[in-house]
Amino acid sequence: MAAKVYDVVVVGAGAGGGTLAAHLARAGADVAIVEGGPRINTRTDFNTHSMPYEFPGRQIPTMKPGKQGMDSERSRGVGGKTMLWNAVAWRFSQRDFKGKDHDDGAGANWPINYADLAPYYDKIEREVGVCGNLDGLRDLPDGIFLPPAPMKCSDLIVKRGAAKLGVKVIHVRKATRTVAGGGRPACHYCGNCMAGCDVAAKYNSADVHIYPAARATGKLEVVPNAIVYEVMVSDENKATGVRYLHRETKEQGEVRGKSVVLACACVQTVALMLMSKSSRYPTGLANSSGHLGKDFIPHFTGGVECFHPELMGKPLTAGDDGFLDHAYVPSFMHDKKDRGFARSFGMQFNYQNRRSTGWARAMPGFGKAYKDSIKHRYPAHMVFSPYGEMLPGPRTFIDLDPKLKDKWGLPAARRTITHEENDKRIFKAMTEWSVQILNASGAEILRTWAEPVRNHELGGARMGDDPRDSVTNKWGQTHDIKNLFLADGSIFATASEKNPTHTIMALAARTADHIAERLRTGDL
Amino acid sequence: MSDQENRRDSLKIIGAIGATCLFPFQADELYGQHEAHTASGPDAVYQRTFFNDEEFALLNVLVDEIIPPTSTPGAAAAGVPAYIDYVASKNESLGKTCRDGLKYLKKKKFEKLPAAGRERLLQDLCDSAEKQRKTSSKEKFWVAIKNLTADGYYTSRIGLRDELGFQGGAVLGSYPSCEVPEH
Repeated sequence: MAAKVYDVVVVGAGAGGGTLAAHLARAGADVAIVEGGPRINTRTDFNTHSMPYEFPGRQIPTMKPGKQGMDSERSRGVGGKTMLWNAVAWRFSQRDFKGKDHDDGAGANWPINYADLAPYYDKIEREVGVCGNLDGLRDLPDGIFLPPAPMKCSDLIVKRGAAKLGVKVIHVRKATRTVAGGGRPACHYCGNCMAGCDVAAKYNSADVHIYPAARATGKLEVVPNAIVYEVMVSDENKATGVRYLHRETKEQGEVRGKSVVLACACVQTVALMLMSKSSRYPTGLANSSGHLGKDFIPHFTGGVECFHPELMGKPLTAGDDGFLDHAYVPSFMHDKKDRGFARSFGMQFNYQNRRSTGWARAMPGFGKAYKDSIKHRYPAHMVFSPYGEMLPGPRTFIDLDPKLKDKWGLPAARRTITHEENDKRIFKAMTEWSVQILNASGAEILRTWAEPVRNHELGGARMGDDPRDSVTNKWGQTHDIKNLFLADGSIFATASEKNPTHTIMALAARTADHIAERLRTGDL
Repeated sequence: MSDQENRRDSLKIIGAIGATCLFPFQADELYGQHEAHTASGPDAVYQRTFFNDEEFALLNVLVDEIIPPTSTPGAAAAGVPAYIDYVASKNESLGKTCRDGLKYLKKKKFEKLPAAGRERLLQDLCDSAEKQRKTSSKEKFWVAIKNLTADGYYTSRIGLRDELGFQGGAVLGSYPSCEVPEH
């Protein structure tokens, strides 16, 4: 293998890397996909349907005994985080791509428009199967959808309440099949989506993109258990491949290619570039802008926990867990001129599996009355989770920990996050709106989160037209090294308030087209 | 009591807990949720390692006061003491809090008190921790033992399946729709 020079070496086998590698292999390129973690069989390796009481500590291990994977952020496994994601799949809107223009200069614009990405959203929806309703919203473009799953009782209660405030509740859109197709069965609504879907009704990049493309083309090779620690760059300023440590033996290895694509889930992509220092790039690979690690814009989420009195004491149904959240409150603030902040928020709810009973701690008292109150409230419990968009700020960035090393002796990636005034205003507004919607729904509020919690890591190597303030151009191609590309959340110029994976996949498919074309013309 | 009165009563109870807190729970408190894989998975059968016989006997009485047998078994029968032993053996400060608390109950001759006396003692502890929000060692003990009992019970087969009626994990051919009346 050492002698082979692939057309494209892709680092990371998640949503971005998996999509890109599959598209390139199908376009005729010789592709190696180098993944830090092992191969995982979704049908057999996860504790998908386990119950907490099977374990003395009541915590369900992700993997079955003797099965490897998902054990560190550098070695998740073939499929990456799509193995355990919740599959929410939104298209970004034109407003998201031009956030700076929309919000009087706040944050950044993307160097692309919605129209550039729309054909790739179409393509991804056809490939992965996204269920949803056609809602005709200006800020949440419709697509090519499988039928939506019916809303839960609690969703309908919230929908009825939100309507009183003029707020829409729509069906969630997920990369989960509601009807069989593409060799995958329909969802069986067991509620264990984030424990590894054992039938792949929920999209994962291994079963839907990587392995089918490898079988069909014979041109996609997976190199698992390879923790990449360096991108090799020639004297001619070309990326020539990657160096890795074997996950178990720590033996060193190399994979060589005519071009290199990094898709290691945002923070790890940035960390790998920061580790790949050289005399030419003393502060990190392709960092002539000095922006590598900056412009880090993870989503932040709030939360309100409540009970719906209408559901108290009602029997649970087998469908209560469903495929976790079935409904969504799309952004309704971005067009309000006097809202007092840039950007917006959306609201997910009900994505906790009903095994989660941590709220029982918070109920007062003890004895029979306590026990009865938990049972009475159990069918009525709900968590409301608004997601806000973060603006880039000088006190929020990714770097390498100067002291902390991981088990491979590599510096740990470090996140520094400070929420500035705009984030705080969004957090306050999205929490207050959540409470209002729930009040209008007749809910009893148990408690609200006092502090935001981060999710969906984005940014750190954003794309832009100007090489002085961005790391890649509009193709995810680094400004500094022509044959080095990024294909994950790190290149996002704005986070939007919408879950990012669909956009990561669409961008990866677009970058794949670009690379395939350059391979044909020899222009890399 | 009318539905409306019930509602008001429960709102009051919730209000007493306080509207704002840090959430979600810390990672080590996410009972019943999935955690990252550890190389050597826990054994399916658990042998007590932390509490001695006397402590464990007392713990069995205590957890059944918090979640008693009703039409379904209580916390002791659901294996909650073994769960608490497991957690206490993994967490030094929590273990000490539990052990010190059990000593305190022992001193009060908790086991030998009549049912009403036990309840009164616990009610005082509970009020002091949950209403007056005191944080000395015995209130800490109350919070710890109640949290552990709630976690352990509602993640047990008896608590989750029999008591709460959890039916998750079922495999459905299609998703059932729901009707919610207009208001």
